[in-house]
Amino acid sequence: MLELLNDYTIQTVTMGAALLGISSGVLGCFAVLRKQSLLGDTLSHAALPGICIGFLIAGARDLGSILAGALVTGAAAALVVLALTRMSRLKTDAALGIALGVSFALGVVLLTYIQGTGNASQGGLDSFLFGQAAAILRSDLWIMGSIALASLLLVAALWKEFKLVSFDPGYAASLGMPVVVMEVAMTTMVALAVVVGLQMVGVVLMTAMIIAPPVAARQWTRRLGTMVVLSAIFGTVAGVTGAILSATARGLSTGPLIVLAISAIVLVSLLVSPERGIIWEMVRRWRDRRALRARQVLTTLHAMAEQHGNRHYPAELGSLDTFHGTDTRRALARLEDRGLIRPVAHEPEITPHWELTQSGYAEAERLAAEIVGDR
Amino acid sequence: MTDQLHEPQLALHVEDLTVSYDSKPALWDIDVDVPPGVMAAIVGPNGSGKTTFIKSVLGLVTPTAGHVRIFGQPYGAQRRKVGYVPQRSSVDWDFPTTALDVVTMGLYGRLGWLKRPGRAEREKAMASLEQVKMQDFADRQISQLSGGQQQRVFLARALVQQADIYFLDEPMAGVDATTERAIVGILHKLREQGKTVIVVHHDLQTVKSYFDWMVILNVRAIAQGPVDEVYTADNLRRAYGGQIALIERETFGDAEAGQQSGQM
Repeated sequence: MLELLNDYTIQTVTMGAALLGISSGVLGCFAVLRKQSLLGDTLSHAALPGICIGFLIAGARDLGSILAGALVTGAAAALVVLALTRMSRLKTDAALGIALGVSFALGVVLLTYIQGTGNASQGGLDSFLFGQAAAILRSDLWIMGSIALASLLLVAALWKEFKLVSFDPGYAASLGMPVVVMEVAMTTMVALAVVVGLQMVGVVLMTAMIIAPPVAARQWTRRLGTMVVLSAIFGTVAGVTGAILSATARGLSTGPLIVLAISAIVLVSLLVSPERGIIWEMVRRWRDRRALRARQVLTTLHAMAEQHGNRHYPAELGSLDTFHGTDTRRALARLEDRGLIRPVAHEPEITPHWELTQSGYAEAERLAAEIVGDR
Repeated sequence: MTDQLHEPQLALHVEDLTVSYDSKPALWDIDVDVPPGVMAAIVGPNGSGKTTFIKSVLGLVTPTAGHVRIFGQPYGAQRRKVGYVPQRSSVDWDFPTTALDVVTMGLYGRLGWLKRPGRAEREKAMASLEQVKMQDFADRQISQLSGGQQQRVFLARALVQQADIYFLDEPMAGVDATTERAIVGILHKLREQGKTVIVVHHDLQTVKSYFDWMVILNVRAIAQGPVDEVYTADNLRRAYGGQIALIERETFGDAEAGQQSGQM
């Protein structure tokens, strides 16, 4: 393991993955909260033509110009989406789909064109499709790091503005905030996050890095601040895990490994997180159902007692089962544990009988009053 | 232009306002004046432009024509004097934040760029929550609040703005009777303090008991003025058309017929 950490490539890859995780985790939060998850998908696919154009202009695999190209075409795609939704009757999802398709097709055409020219340095350009961690150079880290740092500083500086515009843009505008500018800034940040991750994850799967960490983080917290930090941590853990797996087991593609790692985190979060998790929800529903059954049985006992004019009317198990159409024995046992009913013998019958206790009668009265009160 | 006061004696002055969506007019050539210190209801049938009216006053939609003045000046110059309660359904209540945090947002405009809310802001927000009796829910995740509680949080967020004129969009929609009474109580208190309160209201039955001023909209401004003068069968019929028959029988017919019919 120690040997692994000393490996120069692995160090570089790990740092790159961490940068990717932090920036996409933080910036993705705002995209997901603004219901713009799929914008990341369009932006990342739209980066491909930019990558190719950047390569063509620089004439070599220069990361700076490649990422600049990716940012420009990503931003152009975002503008096209905006224009389509504002000026035509297209809805956002259709506009995003159109922009994604057109720009990705354009990107693949450009990519095959470059490959056809036989430019020796084009090797590795197609690694932007699915990402290739091992191709990352130390100098690339500086570029990724500065982009990540710049966007994080922006988030820190405009924290409350971003929060309010994400939550309630109309109200933000009434306070005089330049909502459109803020929304453009947030979209640009998503584009920046995409650009940081392109080399690592690739254009096809980059959207998962924008969506998945915030979704997982949202499960564990009720505060935006915590959500953003958790999202960054999840993104980093997934990035580093995927990158190291890919670097050690050669031949396995980095992007998919990272995405699988973050997907595992999402799955666990969706299942087991308190309050919002699926398992938590199932347990709560089961408890509710159990409590409701007990209340129903108690109310039935109360109604029978009222009907017979006897507070201690002994109700027979069989008749309760028939009335509720199901086995009430467990509900009765729980009511007995709570001291609301007690078993009684009712000669000459030998079947189990139950009567309300003093507190059981009072509880049933209270429930009845509550039901009347609701109307 | 901004320096020159235009109708400063009015809390709200709207002149020749026209707003259209996709060339279909939502509001057409509206003149509305509201004097300071009243509690005004804006009523009208669905799609009559009530929300559009508030949004265009607050500059959230751009009018095709006309102008708006608040205490004599355009909205941009008077922001600090205006509090706004949007429709509760306009936001996603699953947003990861707490009731207290939402109320603190009311102070963001005053805080200015780069500054973060501190203890003073939290205390003010807490005081607002107390006004709407939600102090026990300050740390509650907003998705766990009931509809009425969410509405009260929104109201607290406007209260913390310490405005002179408040615009509320359907604050009584989908809340229970207790919350409605609480909200009306708070609004009446604001009016007693000399503030102007303008409410988009959907329930004609309660207009007379809650409000003292009234604006009836249906794309055009049908009528406006003190409720006693404006709340007439004739005016309501002009705004609501055939739908009014029921309301009319209940609120006007009954008074004469000796309160026969009960609920709808």
